[in-house]
Amino acid sequence: MSKPLIQIDDLVREMTDAEYADFQERQANSVNLNLETTQE
Amino acid sequence: MPTNFPTSVDNFTNPTANDSLNLPSHSTQHANANDAIEAVESYLLNGGQGLTLVKKQTIGSAVSTVAVTDAFSATYENYKIIISGGTSSANGYLKLNLTGSTASYSMFMIYGSFASNTVEGAGLSNTASWDYAGGMQSGQYLYMNAELMTPFLSKYTRLSSLATAQTHVNTGTATGVHAVATSYTGFTVTPSTGTITGGTIYVYGYGIGQ
Repeated sequence: MSKPLIQIDDLVREMTDAEYADFQERQANSVNLNLETTQE
Repeated sequence: MPTNFPTSVDNFTNPTANDSLNLPSHSTQHANANDAIEAVESYLLNGGQGLTLVKKQTIGSAVSTVAVTDAFSATYENYKIIISGGTSSANGYLKLNLTGSTASYSMFMIYGSFASNTVEGAGLSNTASWDYAGGMQSGQYLYMNAELMTPFLSKYTRLSSLATAQTHVNTGTATGVHAVATSYTGFTVTPSTGTITGGTIYVYGYGIGQ
């Protein structure tokens, strides 16, 4: 399975294993306060 | 004669057609003019009293994070980051990180939803990023209007964000701190979910004058 794309300035490429691990950790540690209300 | 710039306008002595080269002194004339030109150049290159575009970055296609390098330096103390245009694969928010640091971010957001008159608040303490630094709406736009104070200094960095969101139906403002006394030269922007495409990241430095 391909990894997500990371952009560094003008360069876009697949994340390395280390970058992907860091990315996953940050996403897992994101805060979600569930503030969303019902209206659009 | 040292230049008075930028305090006041210099009062140069203009030579007339029959003046000799030593009255007024030809070399002094050039020295004064050169001093004034150099002062103006230095002032402008330091951003004068306004904003100077430091970096402009177009976001690629379907990327999960964007790193902007060499954005902060000793030239400026304070910066404005604007992200506009583009689109996202999902609704959500844009997270902001100083490059390489994934801890010690705190912020407080005052927000409301478009269909309500109620003011809400949300505090985040010691999180992995400034999670609600900006927002995104699928098929519409990305947005961030954030100011960073002293990211390049080896001190804590303060955040003031004029356009925060926890979701695309909420809007608000926030201030925050990154409680790590380290110098940073860049930052990353990461969507809370999915990917982002297009749009532009602008980084401006606030001029420090002389």
